[in-house]
Amino acid sequence: MAHDHDSFSDRPAVLDRVRPAELPRPSLVLNDRGFHWITDKVCGIVEEPTPRWWKVTFLVALFVASFTGVGLAYLVSTGTGTWGLRAPVGWGWAIVNFVFWVGIGHAGTLISAILCLLRQKWRTSINRAAEAMTIFAVMCAGIFPLFHVGRVWFAWWLFPLPNQNAIWPQFRSPLEWDVFAVSTYFTVSTLFWYMGMIPDLGAIRDRARTWWRKAFYSLLAMGWRGGNRQWSNFEMAYLLLAGLSTPLVLSVHTIVSFDFAVSNVPGWHTTIFPPYFVAGAIFSGFAMVLTLMLPLRAIYRLHDVINQYHVDNMCKIILATGTMVGYAYATEFFIAAYSGNPYEKFAFINRAFGQYAWAYWIMVSCNVITPQLFWFRKVRENHSLVWIICLFVNVGMWFERFVITITSLANDYLPSSWGYYSPTIVDIFTFFGTFGFFSVLFLLFVRFLPLLPMAEVKMVTPQADPHAH
Amino acid sequence: MSKKVFQHPAPREGAVQPWRSLEERNKSPEFLTRAEREFVDGASAAPSPVERREFLTLMGASFGLAGLGLAGCREPRHHTLPYAKQPENTIPGIPTYYASSFPGEFASQPLIVETHQHRPTKVEGNPSHAGSGRASSKFAQASVLDLYDPDRAKGSYGRDGALLAPSAVREALRALAGEAKSDAGEGLAFLARPSSSPTRRRLVKAVRAALPKARWVEYSPVAQDRAEAALGARALPDYAKARRILSIDSDFLGSGDASLEATRAYSEGRRADTVSQAESMTRLYVAESLFTLTGAAADHRLRAPSSHMSALAAAFAKEVLSLTGGPAAAIRVSGLQVDTHWIRECVRDLVDNRGRALIVAGDHLSPEAHRAVAAANAALAAPVRYVAAPDRVANASLADLAARPARTLVILGGNPAYDAPSDVRFAAAVKAAANVVRLGYHGAEFDETSALAREAKGLVLAASHYLESWSDGRAVDGTVVPVQPMIEPLFPSFTELDVIAPFAGSDKDAAALVRETFGQLSKDASDAAYAAWLAEGVLRGTVFSSVQPQLAAAGGDFSAPAVSLDALEARIVPSAHAGDGLFANNGWLAEAPDPLSRTAWENVILVSPRLAKKLSIEPEASQINELGALNRNINAVEDGKLMCRVARLTVGGVTVTGPLFIMPGLADGTVGLQLGFGRRTAGRVATRVDARLRGEVLGNGFSAYPFVTAASPDFRNGVRLELTAERVQVCNLQDHWSMEGRDILREGTVEDLRAGTDFAKLGVDGHAPAVYGKDGAMAPALKAVTTPRGNSAYEHPDHTVAPNVAVWRGHEDKFPAPQQWGMSIDLSTCTGCNACVTACQAENNIPVVGRDQVLKGRSMHWLRLDRYFSDGREHAGLEIPEDPQITFMGVACQHCETAPCETVCPANATVHDEQGLNTMAYNRCIGTRYCANNCPYKVRRFNFLDYNKREAGHYYQGPLGPEKAVKDPADLPQMQKNPDVSVRMRGVMEKCTYCVQRIQEAKIRAKVRAKDSGDVRIPDGALQVACQQACPAGAIEFGDITDPNSRVAKAKASSRSYGALTYLNTRPRTTYQARLRNLNPRMPGARKAPNTRLELDGRAHGPSHAEGAHK
Repeated sequence: MAHDHDSFSDRPAVLDRVRPAELPRPSLVLNDRGFHWITDKVCGIVEEPTPRWWKVTFLVALFVASFTGVGLAYLVSTGTGTWGLRAPVGWGWAIVNFVFWVGIGHAGTLISAILCLLRQKWRTSINRAAEAMTIFAVMCAGIFPLFHVGRVWFAWWLFPLPNQNAIWPQFRSPLEWDVFAVSTYFTVSTLFWYMGMIPDLGAIRDRARTWWRKAFYSLLAMGWRGGNRQWSNFEMAYLLLAGLSTPLVLSVHTIVSFDFAVSNVPGWHTTIFPPYFVAGAIFSGFAMVLTLMLPLRAIYRLHDVINQYHVDNMCKIILATGTMVGYAYATEFFIAAYSGNPYEKFAFINRAFGQYAWAYWIMVSCNVITPQLFWFRKVRENHSLVWIICLFVNVGMWFERFVITITSLANDYLPSSWGYYSPTIVDIFTFFGTFGFFSVLFLLFVRFLPLLPMAEVKMVTPQADPHAH
Repeated sequence: MSKKVFQHPAPREGAVQPWRSLEERNKSPEFLTRAEREFVDGASAAPSPVERREFLTLMGASFGLAGLGLAGCREPRHHTLPYAKQPENTIPGIPTYYASSFPGEFASQPLIVETHQHRPTKVEGNPSHAGSGRASSKFAQASVLDLYDPDRAKGSYGRDGALLAPSAVREALRALAGEAKSDAGEGLAFLARPSSSPTRRRLVKAVRAALPKARWVEYSPVAQDRAEAALGARALPDYAKARRILSIDSDFLGSGDASLEATRAYSEGRRADTVSQAESMTRLYVAESLFTLTGAAADHRLRAPSSHMSALAAAFAKEVLSLTGGPAAAIRVSGLQVDTHWIRECVRDLVDNRGRALIVAGDHLSPEAHRAVAAANAALAAPVRYVAAPDRVANASLADLAARPARTLVILGGNPAYDAPSDVRFAAAVKAAANVVRLGYHGAEFDETSALAREAKGLVLAASHYLESWSDGRAVDGTVVPVQPMIEPLFPSFTELDVIAPFAGSDKDAAALVRETFGQLSKDASDAAYAAWLAEGVLRGTVFSSVQPQLAAAGGDFSAPAVSLDALEARIVPSAHAGDGLFANNGWLAEAPDPLSRTAWENVILVSPRLAKKLSIEPEASQINELGALNRNINAVEDGKLMCRVARLTVGGVTVTGPLFIMPGLADGTVGLQLGFGRRTAGRVATRVDARLRGEVLGNGFSAYPFVTAASPDFRNGVRLELTAERVQVCNLQDHWSMEGRDILREGTVEDLRAGTDFAKLGVDGHAPAVYGKDGAMAPALKAVTTPRGNSAYEHPDHTVAPNVAVWRGHEDKFPAPQQWGMSIDLSTCTGCNACVTACQAENNIPVVGRDQVLKGRSMHWLRLDRYFSDGREHAGLEIPEDPQITFMGVACQHCETAPCETVCPANATVHDEQGLNTMAYNRCIGTRYCANNCPYKVRRFNFLDYNKREAGHYYQGPLGPEKAVKDPADLPQMQKNPDVSVRMRGVMEKCTYCVQRIQEAKIRAKVRAKDSGDVRIPDGALQVACQQACPAGAIEFGDITDPNSRVAKAKASSRSYGALTYLNTRPRTTYQARLRNLNPRMPGARKAPNTRLELDGRAHGPSHAEGAHK
């Protein structure tokens, strides 16, 4: 290092004469929108009279959600046999849906926590909605492992509650780890989401005109006054929660992947699963964020705060994680071939060419091939196309979980026990209904809570830093 | 508090003063005050005085909380009446066992019946009978369920259809008997199934003496006595002595009343672990048209049409006679198209083993063929004993009955309206009779013959089950065995003897008649001897006496009709589920898959792959294609559904329609038909549930009886097959045919054993012992207790190994280490007979889930018999093999020492016990099914729906559907349940427990016996699990693997022993003994190794890739 110091002293003279050009950073808020505009825009969404489209959509979502309710009622009253499960496929759509929804629930906390720590300022305009999406997706996810058990009324045995039988849960079981991983993730994500909302809730409260709005938002704002001390505490708490959430983002899907990786089923028993699942989860999560944000942006005309730069970034993350997932698919094949284990080899060849080959190729084309279009700027700028590709990614990621769960179970060690799984109408409706459930929650969020983090968006506007370089 | 002061009486003057302590003697003041007090210091003071307020606080809270928890609400109290007088020998909870027998048409099966509080729940073989031992057949096992058949006749009905009291029935029978007497029985005819009962035989003779003109007809669709009719004597082959067996279309291991004992004897000769044992191992040659259990057991198998079998038998006999210098010229064979090389080499082997070679011929062969076989057996000095067959009592045939209808027709048992030959107009004969008496186990609602009798305005009497009846029978060797009631008849019902007796002029009841017969048959007719017979279940010294049959010289012209893909032949056999139809309403049998086709609940038309190809059904047989992936178009399996083309078979203007099932190994031109299905009037099991819910009666499967004629009940030539456009789903339990060259099931040859090839350790699993590390060479018994194994993640902190109490220190010898249970299954002797599967179902309260659920892949069998076809080619799957080998593998929970299921259960519901059992706590199970996913053997079964609570067809109605049992204590099938085993609810996983209830029972017995000796170990053989007990081949050994002298430890020490999938480090407690094939290298098509091995070698590794290769 001493050498460096020396060289510093005799730095080339030319450096004094040149001035390195600063790369222009893309503006995060376009059209020179000021603080007031942002406040009006975001609070306006909550304050405006309930739009008709919202009412209609909400009713439709409620109706769709009732499918889950009816499906679960039938399931609990009659038995798990109402689903398409059979020997040897003990886990069917329920677990597929669980992993699918948990995966979707990855983007929000990743955006708010990891991108926060990495000082990615573009995250601000999308993080609130993404976090809400995370929480609602985890709620949808939670339905499935809970109700897939044969005797749901005893599901509380999964919690380590002291009891007179002195029986504890089995702490070696990945399902038990799931219980902790998912519930922790849900709790911390909810805290994080809510805490981040407090300043904005304060703003809404301050603008409230009716007594009940005032009461409601006062309660939620927890006495936020926007003082320096509060801001300082807020910033610190936000940072701490971001730090706490960051490992959770990685751990929750890692542990979900352990459900498979810790077992000995060929096709599940794979060490690549944790990073592969996390990459897949981020992949599907970002796709879902775009799926939701693009229509919202159009409806509420948020083009200035959620602009091409945001869409670009998200598309690039989708492209990167999609490629990682594709790489993982390839690695699985390589390792299976390299293992010399005929059971492993068969499991993977069977995935691609066996009885579920259709699902495998849907997965590959949606997850590996479609996101490659994001290499092209023209594609990233065509938001309809982006939206459609994101839908494909979501479909592909659902099929990824289907392929992993079903094909491995359907054809494992003993050919005598091989079988074919197909879902029943109850499976399909219960899953379909969760989209309604998700939409109900999301619509309520859009209607009653600040869709964008006003305070944070304001911080990244040029006006927030007038003396900036 | 005041203290009570004791006033001791004053001591007498001068008396010796005893003293308790030096203090007393010294009269120390401390002592005196202490002695005055009743209690020691501080005894009256509470250790921590509770203040009044504290007391009220605590009690108030207690009462409050008690009220909150509703602890005051009790379950409603039911009063039951206790025994006023304890019945003798009845201890609630302890089963009672009685000897009885399962009546067969040809021979009865000696049984011991387990009863719980006088409910028969399970049957076992009677070990007092050497021939059958503890073994029992699947039909005997399943017969218990028939007793509780909810569709059985619950009363007798008169001519007008009104319910008749038993006394009125007897009155009516006496009236008919009196009427018959008037014309010496001219118009009277009886129709019954054949029976081995001496009492019935005696009664029939009495009837014929009393009513000389009466006709007695015996009819069985699958007659088992045709060979003896041809020979004039019954042949009892000694399969244990035979070292070379040639079976000519005789499924002696798989069907017929003698198959149980045949399997037992045959398996004796197949058990070989050492080279010297292998040298004298039995070799089995089979010529057959369909694939049977015998064919699956064969070392060499020849496919030929059934209608060629008589000619083929003659050709074999001719070859035997010509090699042994007998009169071969009289046998002239024509039209046979068969590999003469096969015949020549096979016969050479037989002749080389003169004195220990045996030919058995199927019952359906012609009398001439039977005589030729007998001559060949004589020339081979075959181990066959000829015995005098019981004299025939029938004096008319069914055809005769149809041609000349009786005025009074008594139909006893059977179901001739369903199973009579199609060219016999049986219904007309019944309708022509003025008086019809029908004794049927099912009433007019659920039985074709009873319905016909009802239509003909006859008496329809309810028959008793054999477990409620007095009767007797003869075992295969002739031993007289009793049939005694285990339970008062559940419904007012009658036995055959009850119905026949009035016609014989006897007013005795069945019990008295049996007693009388005993008096005639036994040397000692005393009551004591009678009681001993009933207790032991066999009458010694009553085996059939040997005779020398008067054999006419073998000869004649044998011509084989043309059978080809264009001129088909239909072979008609009883089905594995329903037999000839009598067991059609038995759920256990319906659900136990056919061991070969693995279909359940229905029958199919079996066709050869070549015929299928000709019909342009192009299945891709095995599912693995060139890429090594599973093919979607597997033998017409679409999305897991076995979709079969429906075909119409026509012969002689009669048509039978059913689904085509392509079965490898069939003779090319033979079409297989199974009897016992397609019932028109039948109970809930024999009919389709979906149809019943629509209000129709539609039997499972189709009836093959239209093809059965009086002249040709076994096969029909000139069958025409037309494919229809229809496709139906067939219920099967195993889609996959091939083992795909995996090393799950190991096979070797006698040659391998001689050469020392370690064929039991092959493939990936060949590496498995390495996972034990340096313990690899350790004795299995030691491994069982020293290597770590699955247990709970946390042990109870207070739990230490016994002796865990200080006073027992120094007596460690009184606490022997727990016994370690293990099982070994010998694939060499297993014939795939399904007795174990049914026994397991009976013992463990395994529900019948019904066709619909089986179709969905949810059968509940804890023990299943996997069947694999192999033809020795690497990618066997691209073509359906035409001439494959079959191997069976019984798979139940393997009780892995490091069980993959245990670690993944989040609820801790499946854990290991200290005796090495992988136990399942149903109460704790919440049903995540993770354990089933993680079980590589796929033996865990999940209660997807309320199979025990609801009836098939109502599963999906949930709480809205009717409940079959829970609310009705008189629900019949519920009465079969074994009270020692929990009945599982929905949402719970279950699996083989190694019959833990039997282990517990044996432990209690051992502890009672041990008293203070501390010897609480269960001796080897004192404990048998249900499958082991039933197995006629003795293929299953179970016991303590830490005892090196136990049979299971010896089996595990065999060089053939291996564990399946042990490379996963599961360390299964159930291991297998590799199948040994005894190939004759001179036979055409004989390969060096079994086909599964050839596939494995070709698929994954070189042939030398055993564990040793890596040392």
